[in-house]
Amino acid sequence: MGKYFSVFTLTLKEYFAYRLNFLIWRLRVFIGFLVPFFLWLTVIEEVKNFTGYEKQSIVSYFFFSHLLAYFILGTRTVDIAGQIQNGEIINLLLKPMSFFYYYFFRDLADKILNLLLSFFEVFLFFKIFSISFPSANFQFLPFFFLFLTLGLFLSFYLNLLISFLGFWSAEVWAPRFIFFILISILSGSFFPLDLLPKKLFSLIILTPFPYLFFLPVKMISSPQTLMDKIDIYFLFFMGSFWLVILFFLAQFFWQKGLKSFSFWGR
Amino acid sequence: MFKKIKRNLKIFLLFGYQSLKTTGQSRQAIFIFTLGKILRFIFLFGVIFLVFSKTKIIAGWSLKQAVILYLTFNFIDTFSQLLYREVYRFRPQVISGNLDLILVKPYHPFLRVLVGGVDFLDLLLLVPYFFILLFFIFQEKISFFSFFLYLTLVMNGLIISTAFHISVLALGLLTTEVDNAIMIYRDILNLGRFPIEIYQQIISFIFTFIIPIGVMITFPVKALFHFLSFNNVVFSFFISFFLLLLSIKFWQIGLKKYQSAGG
Repeated sequence: MGKYFSVFTLTLKEYFAYRLNFLIWRLRVFIGFLVPFFLWLTVIEEVKNFTGYEKQSIVSYFFFSHLLAYFILGTRTVDIAGQIQNGEIINLLLKPMSFFYYYFFRDLADKILNLLLSFFEVFLFFKIFSISFPSANFQFLPFFFLFLTLGLFLSFYLNLLISFLGFWSAEVWAPRFIFFILISILSGSFFPLDLLPKKLFSLIILTPFPYLFFLPVKMISSPQTLMDKIDIYFLFFMGSFWLVILFFLAQFFWQKGLKSFSFWGR
Repeated sequence: MFKKIKRNLKIFLLFGYQSLKTTGQSRQAIFIFTLGKILRFIFLFGVIFLVFSKTKIIAGWSLKQAVILYLTFNFIDTFSQLLYREVYRFRPQVISGNLDLILVKPYHPFLRVLVGGVDFLDLLLLVPYFFILLFFIFQEKISFFSFFLYLTLVMNGLIISTAFHISVLALGLLTTEVDNAIMIYRDILNLGRFPIEIYQQIISFIFTFIIPIGVMITFPVKALFHFLSFNNVVFSFFISFFLLLLSIKFWQIGLKKYQSAGG
């Protein structure tokens, strides 16, 4: 396990070596947070109640979504496709460690750093604009941790799968672009998904995207509005179903990819 | 003068043709990127309707006005990406030293580093955006003068966008920092997708008077619906002129300080 801890610390050190890049990345994430936050705050102030959401619940949703978004979605697996293309992946394959664990620990470092900075940003932002801090809802805390874990692993395997496309195609940015778009639409980053009409919401819940961070955020911010609409055990079943599917798909394509992979000149 | 414009246009078209050929190399990517952009467009269009499903007015804007604002944003954003895509590829030119080869050529370097990589993927979307925008505008009772003012302010917005892109190039000359600067510009511009009035006063002020994305996107639509004061119209033209001059000055300083690297 010690070697993976070294991977973790080395990844952190990489970020400290390129501090400006990381800080600019956080600035971009923060700017992205401003649009949905202020849009929905204005809407709620206008209508007072939007399908069960009031000012406090909408503030709470975006507060926790900013904290958790890149804790769950932050990843270093985007590098893999490039490493496959330029053959660099060979260096990693020769090392006595699991490829999956290696990237999991790199991701973990990325996530923890993102979480710390997002906490600092959101704290500062709420202080400057005198917005009262929302309180967490601990009623469904076990479900929060359950869905958070699901989200972390779903995000990891989804990202791996997209990167593994690099084994068969030089065109790796286009699928990732579509993936980003789908996440921004279906994961609840722009608005709580349960604001949508019930039929549309029931359809989206069948995809893996809401399990990435809509559900963990919902469980810690305002779970009650969701509980009235859908059975939590069904949600847990669907999330687990997707995790199993994506886990086996990632393993399958990794093995397939390795068999078809060849490189020379390093 | 006319001869010079004709010559520059010829060079621009030549670069455009080369860019078209490069784009045509990866048809799979064309399809996926276009699909992604269409999905994003439809999604955000849907968000506007969702937001207005419970109320008629948000921050003083009606549904139709918000739709026209969103379409105007898409038009300005797509047009500037179509024209200035080469800016996104400027950093490799600087750090490899290839920029020297451009600077010694007998044409203005902007023809290569600013408008030399027309993105035809964006052209595919710009045409429908333009017609959808016109469709929504002509649903409203708009006077000729308001429409004319709207078009003028949209062009004014494009001048501000040009100034931002030239500034990013200048920053690239001084620090080789292009990628992050251009992405921050895009992120800030995205704030203009929705009425600037939804943000807190201090943020609205910053994005109107300091980083004028409000002038680029919100002002033309306000003029279309007669709620832009005369002072603000004058301010719009003043700020675009000022920013363009400033960016050109910044570019000239960048050129003076530029030290060839790599190569």
